[in-house]
Amino acid sequence: MSDTHTASGLGGDARVLRSGEREFTLDVRTQDMEINFGPQHPATHGVMRILIRADGELVTGAQPHLGYLHRCAEKIGESVEWLQYLPYTDRYDYLAAMNNNLGYSMAVEAVMGIAIPRRAELIRIICAELNRIGSHLIAVGTYGMDIGAFTPFLYMFREREWMMALFEKICGARLTYSYIRIGGLFNDAPPGWFEEVALFCDTFEAKWPEYYDLLIVNKIFVKRTANVGVIPGRVCLDFGLTGPILRGSGVDWDLRRDMPYSLYGEIWRDGAFQVPVARGEMGTVGDCWDRTWVRMREMQESIRIVRWCLAHIEEGPVMAEIPKILKVPKGEAYVGIENPRGELGHYVVSDGEKMAVRVRVRGPSFCNVAVLEDVLPGALVADAVAIIGSTDIVMGETDR
Amino acid sequence: MDFQGIHDRLRAIGAPGLVGADEPRQGDPKDKKDKGRAGDPFVLVDPQRLTDFLRVCRDDERLCFEMLVDLTATDPAKDQAHLWVNVQLLSLRHRQRLAIKCLLEKAAPRLPTTVPVYRASQWHERECAEMFGITFEGHPDPRNVLLPADWVGHPLRKDYQYPKEYHGISCE
Repeated sequence: MSDTHTASGLGGDARVLRSGEREFTLDVRTQDMEINFGPQHPATHGVMRILIRADGELVTGAQPHLGYLHRCAEKIGESVEWLQYLPYTDRYDYLAAMNNNLGYSMAVEAVMGIAIPRRAELIRIICAELNRIGSHLIAVGTYGMDIGAFTPFLYMFREREWMMALFEKICGARLTYSYIRIGGLFNDAPPGWFEEVALFCDTFEAKWPEYYDLLIVNKIFVKRTANVGVIPGRVCLDFGLTGPILRGSGVDWDLRRDMPYSLYGEIWRDGAFQVPVARGEMGTVGDCWDRTWVRMREMQESIRIVRWCLAHIEEGPVMAEIPKILKVPKGEAYVGIENPRGELGHYVVSDGEKMAVRVRVRGPSFCNVAVLEDVLPGALVADAVAIIGSTDIVMGETDR
Repeated sequence: MDFQGIHDRLRAIGAPGLVGADEPRQGDPKDKKDKGRAGDPFVLVDPQRLTDFLRVCRDDERLCFEMLVDLTATDPAKDQAHLWVNVQLLSLRHRQRLAIKCLLEKAAPRLPTTVPVYRASQWHERECAEMFGITFEGHPDPRNVLLPADWVGHPLRKDYQYPKEYHGISCE
Protein backbone atom coordinates (compact mmCIF):
# COMPACT_ATOMS: atom_id res chain seq x y z
CA MET A 1 0.00 0.00 0.00
CA SER A 2 1.32 3.40 -0.76
CA ASP A 3 0.81 6.62 1.04
CA THR A 4 -2.52 8.31 1.48
CA HIS A 5 -3.09 11.44 -0.55
CA THR A 6 -4.88 13.99 1.50
CA ALA A 7 -6.53 17.09 0.39
CA SER A 8 -7.17 19.60 3.13
CA GLY A 9 -10.35 17.76 3.99
CA LEU A 10 -13.20 16.03 2.24
CA GLY A 11 -14.44 18.27 -0.49
CA GLY A 12 -11.68 20.71 0.34
CA ASP A 13 -8.93 22.08 -1.84
CA ALA A 14 -8.53 20.64 -5.27
CA ARG A 15 -5.54 18.36 -5.72
CA VAL A 16 -3.92 17.65 -9.05
CA LEU A 17 -3.18 14.03 -9.73
CA ARG A 18 -0.65 13.24 -12.37
CA SER A 19 -0.84 9.97 -14.19
CA GLY A 20 1.39 9.49 -17.17
CA GLU A 21 0.95 12.54 -19.32
CA ARG A 22 -2.56 13.20 -18.10
CA GLU A 23 -3.65 15.36 -15.20
CA PHE A 24 -6.77 15.04 -13.14
CA THR A 25 -8.15 17.32 -10.52
CA LEU A 26 -9.59 15.70 -7.43
CA ASP A 27 -11.13 17.35 -4.43
CA VAL A 28 -11.81 14.37 -2.23
CA ARG A 29 -9.68 12.33 0.12
CA THR A 30 -8.43 9.29 -1.73
CA GLN A 31 -6.16 6.39 -1.09
CA ASP A 32 -4.05 4.26 -3.38
CA MET A 33 -5.16 0.71 -3.56
CA GLU A 34 -3.54 -2.28 -5.20
CA ILE A 35 -5.80 -4.64 -7.07
CA ASN A 36 -4.73 -8.03 -8.36
CA PHE A 37 -6.18 -8.50 -11.78
CA GLY A 38 -5.73 -12.17 -12.59
CA PRO A 39 -3.90 -14.54 -12.94
CA GLN A 40 -7.20 -16.38 -13.24
CA HIS A 41 -9.44 -13.78 -14.77
CA PRO A 42 -11.50 -14.33 -17.91
CA ALA A 43 -10.52 -10.97 -19.36
CA THR A 44 -6.80 -11.73 -19.33
CA HIS A 45 -7.40 -14.45 -21.96
CA GLY A 46 -5.12 -16.88 -20.27
CA VAL A 47 -3.04 -16.63 -17.18
CA MET A 48 -1.65 -13.18 -16.69
CA ARG A 49 -1.59 -11.14 -13.55
CA ILE A 50 -1.68 -7.38 -13.65
CA LEU A 51 -1.04 -5.53 -10.47
CA ILE A 52 -3.18 -2.44 -10.81
CA ARG A 53 -2.74 0.54 -8.52
CA ALA A 54 -5.88 2.53 -8.34
CA ASP A 55 -6.71 5.83 -6.78
CA GLY A 56 -10.47 5.64 -6.47
CA GLU A 57 -11.72 4.75 -9.92
CA LEU A 58 -8.53 5.89 -11.60
CA VAL A 59 -5.70 3.56 -12.52
CA THR A 60 -2.41 5.13 -11.48
CA GLY A 61 -0.09 2.24 -12.17
CA ALA A 62 -0.08 -1.16 -13.81
CA GLN A 63 2.50 -3.89 -13.67
CA PRO A 64 1.97 -7.03 -15.76
CA HIS A 65 3.40 -10.24 -14.33
CA LEU A 66 3.92 -13.01 -16.85
CA GLY A 67 5.51 -16.38 -16.96
CA TYR A 68 2.64 -18.54 -15.75
CA LEU A 69 2.60 -20.32 -19.10
CA HIS A 70 6.33 -20.39 -19.73
CA ARG A 71 7.19 -23.71 -21.37
CA CYS A 72 10.81 -23.06 -22.34
CA ALA A 73 10.08 -23.06 -26.08
CA GLU A 74 13.44 -21.52 -26.93
CA LYS A 75 15.36 -24.02 -24.81
CA ILE A 76 13.45 -26.87 -26.43
CA GLY A 77 14.36 -25.43 -29.82
CA GLU A 78 18.01 -26.05 -29.02
CA SER A 79 17.45 -29.57 -27.76
CA VAL A 80 15.42 -31.19 -30.56
CA GLU A 81 16.01 -31.62 -34.28
CA TRP A 82 14.91 -28.92 -36.68
CA LEU A 83 11.73 -30.62 -37.79
CA GLN A 84 10.87 -31.90 -34.32
CA TYR A 85 10.54 -28.34 -33.09
CA LEU A 86 7.65 -27.64 -35.46
CA PRO A 87 4.89 -28.95 -33.13
CA TYR A 88 6.14 -26.61 -30.41
CA THR A 89 5.54 -23.64 -32.67
CA ASP A 90 1.84 -24.55 -32.70
CA ARG A 91 1.74 -23.91 -29.03
CA TYR A 92 2.82 -20.36 -28.67
CA ASP A 93 0.03 -18.55 -30.42
CA TYR A 94 -2.43 -21.41 -30.31
CA LEU A 95 -5.10 -19.37 -32.07
CA ALA A 96 -2.93 -18.96 -35.15
CA ALA A 97 -0.87 -22.13 -35.29
CA MET A 98 -0.70 -22.15 -39.10
CA ASN A 99 0.99 -18.76 -39.06
CA ASN A 100 3.47 -19.95 -36.45
CA ASN A 101 4.32 -23.00 -38.56
CA LEU A 102 4.82 -20.69 -41.50
CA GLY A 103 7.08 -18.31 -39.59
CA TYR A 104 9.35 -21.05 -38.28
CA SER A 105 9.47 -22.92 -41.58
CA MET A 106 10.33 -19.75 -43.47
CA ALA A 107 13.15 -18.92 -41.06
CA VAL A 108 14.72 -22.36 -41.49
CA GLU A 109 14.18 -22.19 -45.24
CA ALA A 110 15.91 -18.81 -45.28
CA VAL A 111 19.06 -20.36 -43.85
CA MET A 112 18.78 -23.41 -46.11
CA GLY A 113 18.09 -21.23 -49.13
CA ILE A 114 15.49 -23.51 -50.65
CA ALA A 115 12.59 -22.58 -52.91
CA ILE A 116 9.08 -23.82 -52.23
CA PRO A 117 6.79 -25.24 -54.95
CA ARG A 118 4.14 -22.80 -56.03
CA ARG A 119 1.23 -25.02 -55.08
CA ALA A 120 2.63 -25.31 -51.58
CA GLU A 121 2.96 -21.52 -51.33
CA LEU A 122 -0.65 -21.06 -52.42
CA ILE A 123 -2.01 -23.58 -49.93
CA ARG A 124 0.22 -22.05 -47.24
CA ILE A 125 -1.33 -18.65 -47.82
CA ILE A 126 -4.86 -20.07 -47.88
CA CYS A 127 -4.23 -21.75 -44.53
CA ALA A 128 -2.51 -18.74 -43.00
CA GLU A 129 -5.32 -16.41 -44.03
CA LEU A 130 -8.07 -18.78 -42.91
CA ASN A 131 -6.28 -19.03 -39.61
CA ARG A 132 -6.09 -15.24 -39.44
CA ILE A 133 -9.85 -15.10 -39.85
CA GLY A 134 -10.28 -17.67 -37.10
CA SER A 135 -7.94 -15.79 -34.82
CA HIS A 136 -9.61 -12.45 -35.42
CA LEU A 137 -13.03 -14.04 -34.88
CA ILE A 138 -11.90 -15.08 -31.41
CA ALA A 139 -10.27 -11.72 -30.78
CA VAL A 140 -13.37 -9.75 -31.68
CA GLY A 141 -15.81 -12.24 -30.18
CA THR A 142 -14.13 -12.54 -26.82
CA TYR A 143 -13.54 -8.82 -26.76
CA GLY A 144 -17.26 -8.28 -27.13
CA MET A 145 -17.82 -10.70 -24.29
CA ASP A 146 -15.25 -8.96 -22.11
CA ILE A 147 -17.28 -5.81 -22.17
CA GLY A 148 -20.70 -7.34 -22.02
CA ALA A 149 -21.83 -8.40 -25.50
CA PHE A 150 -22.30 -12.13 -25.25
CA THR A 151 -24.24 -12.90 -28.44
CA PRO A 152 -21.60 -12.01 -31.07
CA PHE A 153 -19.21 -14.34 -29.28
CA LEU A 154 -21.42 -17.33 -30.11
CA TYR A 155 -21.70 -16.38 -33.78
CA MET A 156 -17.95 -15.90 -34.03
CA PHE A 157 -17.31 -19.31 -32.54
CA ARG A 158 -19.77 -20.87 -34.95
CA GLU A 159 -17.87 -19.48 -37.92
CA ARG A 160 -14.54 -20.46 -36.45
CA GLU A 161 -15.83 -23.99 -35.99
CA TRP A 162 -16.23 -24.26 -39.75
CA MET A 163 -12.72 -22.98 -40.27
CA MET A 164 -11.38 -25.58 -37.84
CA ALA A 165 -13.33 -28.29 -39.64
CA LEU A 166 -11.59 -27.24 -42.85
CA PHE A 167 -8.22 -27.59 -41.15
CA GLU A 168 -9.23 -30.93 -39.68
CA LYS A 169 -9.90 -32.14 -43.20
CA ILE A 170 -6.56 -31.00 -44.51
CA CYS A 171 -4.31 -32.12 -41.67
CA GLY A 172 -6.32 -33.98 -39.05
CA ALA A 173 -5.88 -31.47 -36.25
CA ARG A 174 -8.19 -28.73 -35.09
CA LEU A 175 -5.87 -26.49 -33.16
CA THR A 176 -2.26 -27.60 -33.33
CA TYR A 177 -1.74 -28.29 -37.00
CA SER A 178 2.00 -28.71 -37.72
CA TYR A 179 0.80 -28.72 -41.30
CA ILE A 180 3.17 -26.21 -42.88
CA ARG A 181 6.50 -27.99 -42.86
CA ILE A 182 10.03 -26.93 -43.60
CA GLY A 183 10.18 -27.18 -47.38
CA GLY A 184 6.47 -27.20 -48.09
CA LEU A 185 3.45 -28.92 -46.64
CA PHE A 186 2.69 -32.11 -44.76
CA ASN A 187 0.42 -33.33 -47.56
CA ASP A 188 -1.76 -32.13 -50.39
CA ALA A 189 -5.30 -30.89 -49.88
CA PRO A 190 -7.95 -33.65 -50.06
CA PRO A 191 -10.35 -33.72 -53.05
CA GLY A 192 -13.11 -31.14 -52.81
CA TRP A 193 -11.27 -29.09 -50.18
CA PHE A 194 -10.84 -25.99 -52.30
CA GLU A 195 -14.53 -25.98 -53.20
CA GLU A 196 -15.38 -26.11 -49.54
CA VAL A 197 -13.01 -23.24 -48.79
CA ALA A 198 -14.72 -21.24 -51.52
CA LEU A 199 -18.09 -22.03 -49.96
CA PHE A 200 -16.79 -20.89 -46.57
CA CYS A 201 -15.57 -17.64 -48.12
CA ASP A 202 -18.92 -16.95 -49.77
CA THR A 203 -20.91 -17.76 -46.68
CA PHE A 204 -18.67 -15.87 -44.31
CA GLU A 205 -18.50 -12.82 -46.52
CA ALA A 206 -22.28 -12.68 -46.71
CA LYS A 207 -22.56 -12.88 -42.93
CA TRP A 208 -19.77 -10.41 -42.20
CA PRO A 209 -21.99 -7.27 -42.38
CA GLU A 210 -24.33 -8.81 -39.81
CA TYR A 211 -21.52 -9.20 -37.32
CA TYR A 212 -20.26 -5.75 -38.09
CA ASP A 213 -23.68 -4.30 -37.31
CA LEU A 214 -24.22 -6.54 -34.33
CA LEU A 215 -21.04 -5.60 -32.53
CA ILE A 216 -18.74 -3.05 -34.12
CA VAL A 217 -21.21 -0.24 -34.73
CA ASN A 218 -23.45 -1.21 -31.84
CA LYS A 219 -24.07 1.94 -29.83
CA ILE A 220 -23.16 0.39 -26.48
CA PHE A 221 -19.99 -1.12 -27.90
CA VAL A 222 -18.93 2.20 -29.40
CA LYS A 223 -19.55 4.01 -26.12
CA ARG A 224 -17.50 1.44 -24.27
CA THR A 225 -14.53 1.53 -26.67
CA ALA A 226 -14.32 4.84 -28.52
CA ASN A 227 -11.78 7.26 -27.02
CA VAL A 228 -10.74 4.57 -24.56
CA GLY A 229 -7.15 3.39 -24.28
CA VAL A 230 -5.71 5.61 -26.97
CA ILE A 231 -2.24 4.51 -28.09
CA PRO A 232 -0.63 7.16 -30.32
CA GLY A 233 1.34 5.98 -33.34
CA ARG A 234 4.69 7.19 -31.98
CA VAL A 235 4.17 5.15 -28.80
CA CYS A 236 3.51 2.10 -30.99
CA LEU A 237 6.83 2.58 -32.76
CA ASP A 238 8.68 3.20 -29.51
CA PHE A 239 7.27 0.05 -27.90
CA GLY A 240 7.63 -2.07 -31.02
CA LEU A 241 3.92 -2.75 -31.31
CA THR A 242 2.89 -4.43 -34.53
CA GLY A 243 -0.13 -5.83 -36.27
CA PRO A 244 -3.67 -4.56 -35.76
CA ILE A 245 -2.56 -2.39 -32.82
CA LEU A 246 -0.12 -0.51 -35.04
CA ARG A 247 -2.66 -0.12 -37.84
CA GLY A 248 -5.30 0.74 -35.28
CA SER A 249 -3.09 3.66 -34.30
CA GLY A 250 -3.09 4.97 -37.84
CA VAL A 251 0.32 3.67 -38.92
CA ASP A 252 0.05 2.25 -42.42
CA TRP A 253 2.25 -0.82 -42.12
CA ASP A 254 1.67 -4.42 -43.04
CA LEU A 255 4.55 -6.83 -43.64
CA ARG A 256 2.51 -8.67 -46.26
CA ARG A 257 2.49 -5.56 -48.38
CA ASP A 258 5.56 -3.62 -47.30
CA MET A 259 8.12 -6.40 -47.00
CA PRO A 260 6.35 -9.10 -48.98
CA TYR A 261 7.17 -12.73 -48.39
CA SER A 262 5.85 -15.89 -49.99
CA LEU A 263 3.45 -14.79 -52.79
CA TYR A 264 2.03 -11.75 -51.03
CA GLY A 265 3.94 -9.36 -53.27
CA GLU A 266 2.26 -10.83 -56.32
CA ILE A 267 -1.16 -10.78 -54.67
CA TRP A 268 -0.70 -7.16 -53.69
CA ARG A 269 0.41 -6.13 -57.19
CA ASP A 270 -2.71 -7.83 -58.48
CA GLY A 271 -4.70 -5.49 -56.25
CA ALA A 272 -6.29 -8.43 -54.46
CA PHE A 273 -6.18 -6.96 -50.98
CA GLN A 274 -5.97 -3.71 -49.07
CA VAL A 275 -4.49 -2.81 -45.74
CA PRO A 276 -7.14 -1.34 -43.44
CA VAL A 277 -5.76 1.52 -41.37
CA ALA A 278 -7.79 3.17 -38.64
CA ARG A 279 -8.92 6.75 -39.08
CA GLY A 280 -10.52 7.36 -35.72
CA GLU A 281 -14.03 7.18 -37.11
CA MET A 282 -15.75 6.88 -33.75
CA GLY A 283 -13.35 8.82 -31.60
CA THR A 284 -9.60 9.22 -31.49
CA VAL A 285 -7.16 7.40 -33.73
CA GLY A 286 -5.67 4.54 -31.74
CA ASP A 287 -8.54 3.85 -29.39
CA CYS A 288 -9.97 0.43 -28.58
CA TRP A 289 -12.68 0.78 -31.19
CA ASP A 290 -10.13 1.39 -33.94
CA ARG A 291 -8.18 -1.73 -33.09
CA THR A 292 -11.29 -3.86 -33.17
CA TRP A 293 -12.40 -2.28 -36.41
CA VAL A 294 -9.04 -3.10 -38.02
CA ARG A 295 -9.40 -6.76 -37.01
CA MET A 296 -12.91 -6.90 -38.34
CA ARG A 297 -11.89 -5.38 -41.68
CA GLU A 298 -8.86 -7.62 -41.97
CA MET A 299 -11.13 -10.64 -42.06
CA GLN A 300 -12.67 -9.28 -45.25
CA GLU A 301 -9.25 -8.76 -46.78
CA SER A 302 -8.19 -12.27 -45.81
CA ILE A 303 -11.20 -13.63 -47.65
CA ARG A 304 -10.09 -11.74 -50.75
CA ILE A 305 -6.56 -13.15 -50.47
CA VAL A 306 -7.93 -16.68 -50.11
CA ARG A 307 -10.10 -16.13 -53.18
CA TRP A 308 -7.10 -14.98 -55.19
CA CYS A 309 -5.21 -18.13 -54.21
CA LEU A 310 -8.16 -20.34 -55.07
CA ALA A 311 -8.34 -18.73 -58.49
CA HIS A 312 -4.63 -19.23 -59.11
CA ILE A 313 -4.22 -22.71 -57.67
CA GLU A 314 -2.23 -25.03 -59.85
CA GLU A 315 -1.18 -28.64 -59.83
CA GLY A 316 2.24 -29.67 -58.70
CA PRO A 317 4.22 -31.00 -55.78
CA VAL A 318 3.65 -29.61 -52.29
CA MET A 319 7.07 -30.38 -50.90
CA ALA A 320 10.51 -29.29 -52.00
CA GLU A 321 13.09 -32.03 -52.25
CA ILE A 322 14.82 -32.05 -48.90
CA PRO A 323 16.46 -34.91 -47.00
CA LYS A 324 14.51 -36.82 -44.33
CA ILE A 325 16.87 -35.73 -41.58
CA LEU A 326 17.39 -32.03 -42.07
CA LYS A 327 20.85 -30.61 -41.96
CA VAL A 328 20.76 -26.86 -42.01
CA PRO A 329 23.95 -25.19 -43.23
CA LYS A 330 25.94 -22.97 -40.91
CA GLY A 331 24.34 -19.56 -40.75
CA GLU A 332 21.68 -17.43 -39.18
CA ALA A 333 18.57 -15.64 -40.31
CA TYR A 334 15.75 -13.54 -38.94
CA VAL A 335 12.38 -13.82 -40.63
CA GLY A 336 9.41 -11.76 -39.55
CA ILE A 337 5.93 -12.48 -40.86
CA GLU A 338 2.59 -10.81 -40.30
CA ASN A 339 0.76 -12.90 -37.75
CA PRO A 340 -2.79 -12.01 -36.70
CA ARG A 341 -1.29 -10.30 -33.65
CA GLY A 342 1.65 -8.62 -35.32
CA GLU A 343 5.13 -9.47 -36.38
CA LEU A 344 6.13 -12.99 -35.48
CA GLY A 345 9.89 -13.13 -35.74
CA HIS A 346 12.07 -16.20 -35.72
CA TYR A 347 15.79 -15.78 -35.34
CA VAL A 348 17.49 -19.09 -35.98
CA VAL A 349 21.18 -19.89 -35.72
CA SER A 350 22.65 -23.06 -37.14
CA ASP A 351 26.15 -24.45 -36.92
CA GLY A 352 25.50 -27.10 -39.54
CA GLU A 353 24.36 -29.81 -37.15
CA LYS A 354 21.06 -31.65 -36.69
CA MET A 355 19.92 -29.27 -33.98
CA ALA A 356 19.69 -25.51 -33.77
CA VAL A 357 22.12 -23.40 -31.80
CA ARG A 358 19.40 -20.89 -31.10
CA VAL A 359 15.74 -20.55 -31.92
CA ARG A 360 14.55 -17.16 -30.83
CA VAL A 361 10.85 -16.44 -30.98
CA ARG A 362 9.81 -12.82 -31.11
CA GLY A 363 6.16 -13.17 -30.21
CA PRO A 364 4.04 -10.14 -31.07
CA SER A 365 1.96 -10.52 -27.92
CA PHE A 366 5.06 -10.27 -25.74
CA CYS A 367 5.82 -6.84 -27.15
CA ASN A 368 2.20 -5.76 -27.32
CA VAL A 369 1.49 -6.54 -23.69
CA ALA A 370 4.39 -4.35 -22.57
CA VAL A 371 2.45 -1.25 -23.57
CA LEU A 372 -0.12 -1.88 -20.83
CA GLU A 373 2.33 -0.38 -18.34
CA ASP A 374 2.06 2.82 -20.30
CA VAL A 375 -1.53 2.90 -21.48
CA LEU A 376 -3.41 1.70 -18.39
CA PRO A 377 -2.38 4.53 -16.05
CA GLY A 378 -4.89 7.31 -16.42
CA ALA A 379 -7.73 5.03 -17.45
CA LEU A 380 -10.70 4.15 -15.32
CA VAL A 381 -10.66 0.79 -13.60
CA ALA A 382 -13.76 -0.19 -15.54
CA ASP A 383 -11.94 0.56 -18.79
CA ALA A 384 -8.95 -1.59 -17.86
CA VAL A 385 -10.75 -4.69 -19.10
CA ALA A 386 -11.66 -2.93 -22.33
CA ILE A 387 -8.05 -1.90 -22.92
CA ILE A 388 -6.52 -5.27 -22.08
CA GLY A 389 -9.04 -7.03 -24.30
CA SER A 390 -8.36 -4.70 -27.21
CA THR A 391 -4.66 -5.59 -27.26
CA ASP A 392 -5.71 -9.17 -28.03
CA ILE A 393 -2.91 -11.00 -26.28
CA VAL A 394 -2.42 -14.74 -26.27
CA MET A 395 -0.56 -15.76 -23.17
CA GLY A 396 0.92 -18.83 -24.79
CA GLU A 397 2.89 -16.45 -26.95
CA THR A 398 3.94 -13.90 -24.35
CA ASP A 399 5.31 -16.64 -22.13
CA ARG A 400 6.37 -19.15 -24.78
CA MET B 1 18.65 0.50 -49.35
CA ASP B 2 20.20 -2.94 -49.34
CA PHE B 3 22.55 -4.12 -46.63
CA GLN B 4 25.61 -2.79 -48.45
CA GLY B 5 23.99 0.65 -48.68
CA ILE B 6 23.12 0.67 -44.99
CA HIS B 7 26.64 -0.39 -44.05
CA ASP B 8 28.15 2.32 -46.27
CA ARG B 9 25.87 4.91 -44.74
CA LEU B 10 26.79 3.81 -41.22
CA ARG B 11 30.46 4.17 -42.08
CA ALA B 12 29.95 7.51 -43.78
CA ILE B 13 28.28 9.06 -40.74
CA GLY B 14 30.79 7.42 -38.40
CA ALA B 15 28.25 5.44 -36.41
CA PRO B 16 29.70 4.99 -32.90
CA GLY B 17 30.85 1.49 -32.05
CA LEU B 18 30.60 0.04 -35.57
CA VAL B 19 33.16 -2.76 -35.79
CA GLY B 20 32.42 -4.37 -39.11
CA ALA B 21 29.97 -6.37 -41.18
CA ASP B 22 29.44 -10.04 -41.81
CA GLU B 23 27.77 -11.19 -44.98
CA PRO B 24 26.81 -14.69 -46.05
CA ARG B 25 29.39 -16.28 -48.32
CA GLN B 26 30.06 -19.47 -50.20
CA GLY B 27 32.51 -21.91 -48.70
CA ASP B 28 35.98 -22.34 -50.13
CA PRO B 29 35.88 -25.43 -52.40
CA LYS B 30 39.61 -26.06 -51.83
CA ASP B 31 39.29 -25.99 -48.05
CA LYS B 32 36.89 -28.68 -46.84
CA LYS B 33 36.60 -27.15 -43.39
CA ASP B 34 35.44 -23.79 -44.73
CA LYS B 35 31.76 -24.33 -45.43
CA GLY B 36 30.90 -20.63 -45.69
CA ARG B 37 27.89 -19.08 -44.02
CA ALA B 38 24.26 -18.90 -45.08
CA GLY B 39 21.45 -16.57 -44.11
CA ASP B 40 21.30 -12.85 -43.41
CA PRO B 41 24.05 -10.23 -43.26
CA PHE B 42 24.56 -8.29 -40.04
CA VAL B 43 26.75 -5.54 -38.63
CA LEU B 44 29.05 -6.06 -35.68
CA VAL B 45 28.90 -3.41 -32.97
CA ASP B 46 30.83 -2.80 -29.78
CA PRO B 47 28.34 -3.64 -26.97
CA GLN B 48 29.55 -0.80 -24.76
CA ARG B 49 28.51 1.70 -27.44
CA LEU B 50 25.38 -0.10 -28.60
CA THR B 51 23.05 2.52 -27.15
CA ASP B 52 24.76 5.34 -29.05
CA PHE B 53 24.81 3.22 -32.18
CA LEU B 54 21.06 2.58 -31.93
CA ARG B 55 20.41 6.27 -31.38
CA VAL B 56 22.20 7.09 -34.62
CA CYS B 57 20.30 4.35 -36.46
CA ARG B 58 17.02 5.76 -35.21
CA ASP B 59 17.72 9.44 -35.82
CA ASP B 60 19.64 9.42 -39.10
CA GLU B 61 17.42 10.56 -41.98
CA ARG B 62 18.60 7.96 -44.45
CA LEU B 63 18.51 5.05 -42.00
CA CYS B 64 15.49 5.98 -39.89
CA PHE B 65 15.05 2.72 -37.98
CA GLU B 66 11.96 3.71 -36.02
CA MET B 67 11.36 0.35 -34.44
CA LEU B 68 13.41 -2.08 -32.43
CA VAL B 69 11.74 -5.34 -33.34
CA ASP B 70 13.78 -7.69 -31.26
CA LEU B 71 16.65 -7.75 -28.82
CA THR B 72 17.95 -11.09 -27.71
CA ALA B 73 21.11 -12.98 -26.96
CA THR B 74 22.70 -16.20 -28.12
CA ASP B 75 25.16 -18.53 -26.47
CA PRO B 76 26.90 -19.99 -29.52
CA ALA B 77 28.68 -22.85 -27.77
CA LYS B 78 29.98 -24.02 -24.41
CA ASP B 79 33.63 -23.46 -25.32
CA GLN B 80 33.18 -20.00 -26.82
CA ALA B 81 34.34 -17.02 -24.81
CA HIS B 82 31.60 -14.71 -26.05
CA LEU B 83 27.86 -14.34 -25.91
CA TRP B 84 26.08 -12.56 -28.75
CA VAL B 85 23.57 -9.81 -28.27
CA ASN B 86 21.33 -9.71 -31.34
CA VAL B 87 19.22 -6.71 -32.25
CA GLN B 88 16.76 -6.48 -35.14
CA LEU B 89 15.81 -3.02 -36.31
CA LEU B 90 13.06 -2.10 -38.73
CA SER B 91 12.54 1.05 -40.72
CA LEU B 92 8.95 1.57 -41.73
CA ARG B 93 9.77 4.58 -43.86
CA HIS B 94 12.47 2.90 -45.94
CA ARG B 95 11.12 -0.64 -45.65
CA GLN B 96 14.40 -2.12 -44.55
CA ARG B 97 15.76 -4.21 -41.72
CA LEU B 98 19.11 -4.24 -40.00
CA ALA B 99 20.52 -7.06 -37.92
CA ILE B 100 23.08 -6.10 -35.30
CA LYS B 101 25.35 -8.41 -33.38
CA CYS B 102 27.51 -7.57 -30.38
CA LEU B 103 30.10 -9.90 -28.93
CA LEU B 104 29.97 -9.84 -25.17
CA GLU B 105 32.54 -11.57 -22.98
CA LYS B 106 31.04 -14.41 -20.98
CA ALA B 107 33.29 -13.60 -18.05
CA ALA B 108 31.73 -10.17 -17.54
CA PRO B 109 28.52 -9.87 -19.58
CA ARG B 110 27.61 -6.23 -18.96
CA LEU B 111 26.47 -3.49 -21.28
CA PRO B 112 24.54 -0.25 -20.90
CA THR B 113 20.79 -0.46 -21.30
CA THR B 114 19.21 0.56 -24.61
CA VAL B 115 15.88 1.55 -23.06
CA PRO B 116 16.57 5.31 -23.39
CA VAL B 117 16.54 4.87 -27.17
CA TYR B 118 13.79 2.29 -27.66
CA ARG B 119 11.35 1.52 -24.88
CA ALA B 120 10.62 -1.72 -26.73
CA SER B 121 13.84 -3.18 -25.41
CA GLN B 122 12.73 -2.93 -21.80
CA TRP B 123 11.13 -6.37 -21.64
CA HIS B 124 13.56 -7.92 -24.10
CA GLU B 125 16.45 -6.89 -21.87
CA ARG B 126 14.72 -8.31 -18.82
CA GLU B 127 14.35 -11.60 -20.66
CA CYS B 128 18.00 -11.55 -21.78
CA ALA B 129 19.11 -10.83 -18.24
CA GLU B 130 17.29 -13.79 -16.72
CA MET B 131 17.99 -16.23 -19.54
CA PHE B 132 21.65 -15.39 -20.16
CA GLY B 133 22.83 -13.59 -17.05
CA ILE B 134 23.58 -10.39 -18.91
CA THR B 135 23.51 -7.21 -16.86
CA PHE B 136 22.02 -4.18 -18.55
CA GLU B 137 23.42 -1.25 -16.61
CA GLY B 138 20.85 1.40 -15.80
CA HIS B 139 17.81 -0.68 -16.70
CA PRO B 140 14.75 0.94 -15.11
CA ASP B 141 13.10 -2.30 -14.00
CA PRO B 142 15.57 -5.19 -13.79
CA ARG B 143 13.21 -7.85 -12.46
CA ASN B 144 12.74 -11.27 -14.04
CA VAL B 145 9.98 -11.26 -16.62
CA LEU B 146 9.26 -14.93 -17.35
CA LEU B 147 11.08 -16.83 -14.61
CA PRO B 148 10.29 -16.70 -10.90
CA ALA B 149 12.34 -14.18 -8.97
CA ASP B 150 14.23 -16.89 -7.09
CA TRP B 151 15.21 -19.01 -10.10
CA VAL B 152 18.81 -20.24 -9.97
CA GLY B 153 20.94 -20.10 -13.11
CA HIS B 154 20.41 -18.80 -16.60
CA PRO B 155 18.53 -21.41 -18.65
CA LEU B 156 19.61 -20.45 -22.17
CA ARG B 157 23.31 -20.58 -21.37
CA LYS B 158 24.82 -23.71 -22.85
CA ASP B 159 26.42 -24.62 -19.52
CA TYR B 160 23.12 -24.42 -17.65
CA GLN B 161 22.61 -27.08 -15.00
CA TYR B 162 19.04 -28.31 -14.80
CA PRO B 163 17.68 -27.97 -11.27
CA LYS B 164 17.11 -31.10 -9.21
CA GLU B 165 14.23 -29.61 -7.30
CA TYR B 166 12.29 -26.39 -6.97
CA HIS B 167 10.70 -25.54 -3.61
CA GLY B 168 10.49 -29.17 -2.67
CA ILE B 169 9.09 -30.25 -6.06
CA SER B 170 11.33 -32.85 -7.63
CA CYS B 171 12.39 -32.05 -11.18
CA GLU B 172 13.94 -35.41 -11.98
